[in-house]
Amino acid sequence: MKISVNTEIALTYLTSRKKQTVVASLGVMFGISMFIFMQSLMKGTNDYFEKMSFTNTPHIKLYNENKVADNHMLRSFFKDESEKILINPKQLSKSQGLTNPFGMVDQIRRLAEVSAVTPQVTGNVIYTSGSVELPGNVAGVQIEQEDKMFDVKGNMISGNLLDLNRIHNSILIGKGIADKLSLHVGDNITVRSGSGNLLIMRIVGIFATTIKQVDETKSYANIAQVQGLLGKDRSYVTEIKVNLINYNNAPAVARQIETITGYKAEDWVKANEQLKAGFKVRAVILNSVIGVILLVAGFGIYNILNMTIYEKIKEIAILKAQGFSGGAVTSIFLQQAVYIGIMGGIVGIVFGFSLTLLVSKIYIGAGTLKYLPMSFYIPHYLQALSFGVITTIAAGYFPARKASKVDPVTIIRG
Amino acid sequence: MNNLALKANSITKYFHDPVTMQVLKNIDVSIDKGEFVSIVGKSGCGKSTLLYVLSTMDTDYEGTLEINGITTTGKSLNDLARIRNESIGFVFQFHYLLPDFSCLKNVMIPALRLGKLSHKEIEEKAYEKLKMFGVEEQALKKAGKLSGGQQQRVAIARALVNDPAIIMGDEPTGNLDSKNTNIVFDMFRQLSKEFGQTIIAVTHDEDFAKRSDRIIEMADGEIISAKK
Ligand SMILES: Nc1ncnc2c1ncn2[C@@H]1O[C@H](COP(=O)(O)OP(=O)(O)OP(=O)(O)O)[C@@H](O)[C@H]1O
Ligand SMILES: [Mg+2]
Repeated sequence: MKISVNTEIALTYLTSRKKQTVVASLGVMFGISMFIFMQSLMKGTNDYFEKMSFTNTPHIKLYNENKVADNHMLRSFFKDESEKILINPKQLSKSQGLTNPFGMVDQIRRLAEVSAVTPQVTGNVIYTSGSVELPGNVAGVQIEQEDKMFDVKGNMISGNLLDLNRIHNSILIGKGIADKLSLHVGDNITVRSGSGNLLIMRIVGIFATTIKQVDETKSYANIAQVQGLLGKDRSYVTEIKVNLINYNNAPAVARQIETITGYKAEDWVKANEQLKAGFKVRAVILNSVIGVILLVAGFGIYNILNMTIYEKIKEIAILKAQGFSGGAVTSIFLQQAVYIGIMGGIVGIVFGFSLTLLVSKIYIGAGTLKYLPMSFYIPHYLQALSFGVITTIAAGYFPARKASKVDPVTIIRG
Repeated sequence: MNNLALKANSITKYFHDPVTMQVLKNIDVSIDKGEFVSIVGKSGCGKSTLLYVLSTMDTDYEGTLEINGITTTGKSLNDLARIRNESIGFVFQFHYLLPDFSCLKNVMIPALRLGKLSHKEIEEKAYEKLKMFGVEEQALKKAGKLSGGQQQRVAIARALVNDPAIIMGDEPTGNLDSKNTNIVFDMFRQLSKEFGQTIIAVTHDEDFAKRSDRIIEMADGEIISAKK
């Protein structure tokens, strides 16, 4: 391999000052491994929380937003061009549910992005067993679809969720409800709706999510039974839940569904604004820490190169006297910075990966979080390397330029 | 006219620190190709200063300078670097080598910079130059570990490695014993005679000066005699 004389000189300077070179690379290594480690931890945690939020939130939820009455019904009724004015419009109640829900389910199912759609009826109820009463809500669902979306099966601690379809008037209750009312699979529970209807239901399963509040209030029943319990007909649906193949497309698909159906479609990003805000805050904290680390590493390199140039100023003069141009001298010193950066970068990547791997094995065991969620994401490593190299080049550039400006005569005269 | 290696026209130079003083006063000098010239004069009369101007390293002067028929005055620093690399070999008054590099590397570096020969050819050539001055045994030693005289000889070998048209030395034999001074003198003699290389050497060694082709004598920033 043919290496240029500039490179040869740069390498000689680096190897004749091993200690300083190692210290400078260590700075870069530290910066880069911290960058990788913290990025991995943050992405891992964010991904984890995002996934967790999907265990009880669909990617898109379609519901009837309470809104002020407008004249669109009048307009479609009269079908003419005349202007309709509503006098004293009122807030429409949401309890009307969605119009033509099953038609909309079919429409939504036909969208290419959609992986699952399910209608749901939610009603506030009071659970009673013996003399103990407990407020909560029951979700009337198509249990197979619900399971496909939220893995209800994975949360079951006893019973079988498919019994919901086989046994008339059956119900799945949260573990909190079961504990408070001391109920078991096979027992009966009385469920009373706000409108006063009362239903005695057979418990066919008990589930536990990670969220205590859900376990203490929520139950699942067949959609038809909940419709009956609430005193509504078979077309009464309060919301339609939609999951997508790629949840990142949710905002766009939500807009599309809104235009198709005319109802409010809320995507998970909107529904989890505080989660996203948390991600943003963490990103800011992380980036400032990384920035400081890289800055310190950059100063290390700057310092060491400045010292080298101070020490080698006579040699720089000699090189220039022998016909090295300013550009060649810049190249010699910039290369030293780049090699320090690359060395520190490579070791930093290995170290950062090892650290990430090691920490991902630490047992946490809080709720469903068994191990620290770390992500192994290739772009982090590429980013880290390029940040490292950019920092070293920036740090090396100014000393290198100073070196290139050395006037040989002034120095050689002494 | 085409036979001139170097021509300086009324070179004038001032130093401004601590007080303004004129170090070079209207210096006119022409040196033929293949000529072996000595510059002599009292300490502090401006010999080194003149040599730096003639070498193109110092660009802060008045007057004009031509090297091999090309006017170098006013050229960019990069162009001058290129000219030095290719056609001027310089031996400094205090033989400056790069202490972290081996002697061989020190000699090779200007040739590597020029990039006209392969690495292997350069290495052979550098070794041959070291051999001419009897320092081939030190070839692989770090330059910083040599004696003063040895360093000076390595520095002369380095000045010759690109076969420059002009070799300038600021007291190139100042640190050498008479035997080695003779070796260097004979080498310079041979280079000028057989290869037509021009030698310009500042020296305090009267004998050395007398045996050269021409003595240029300076006093107080002026040339007082330049007879052949
Ligand atoms: N950087 C400088 N600033 C101011 N004056 C200087 C500088 N360098 C040299 N001089 C002065 O210029 C004059 C000429 O110096 P120069 O080095 O050319 O002398 P020289 O003839 O080479 O002497 P020597 O034989 O001792 O090497 C001296 O008086 C010296 O003090
Ligand atoms: Mg001098």
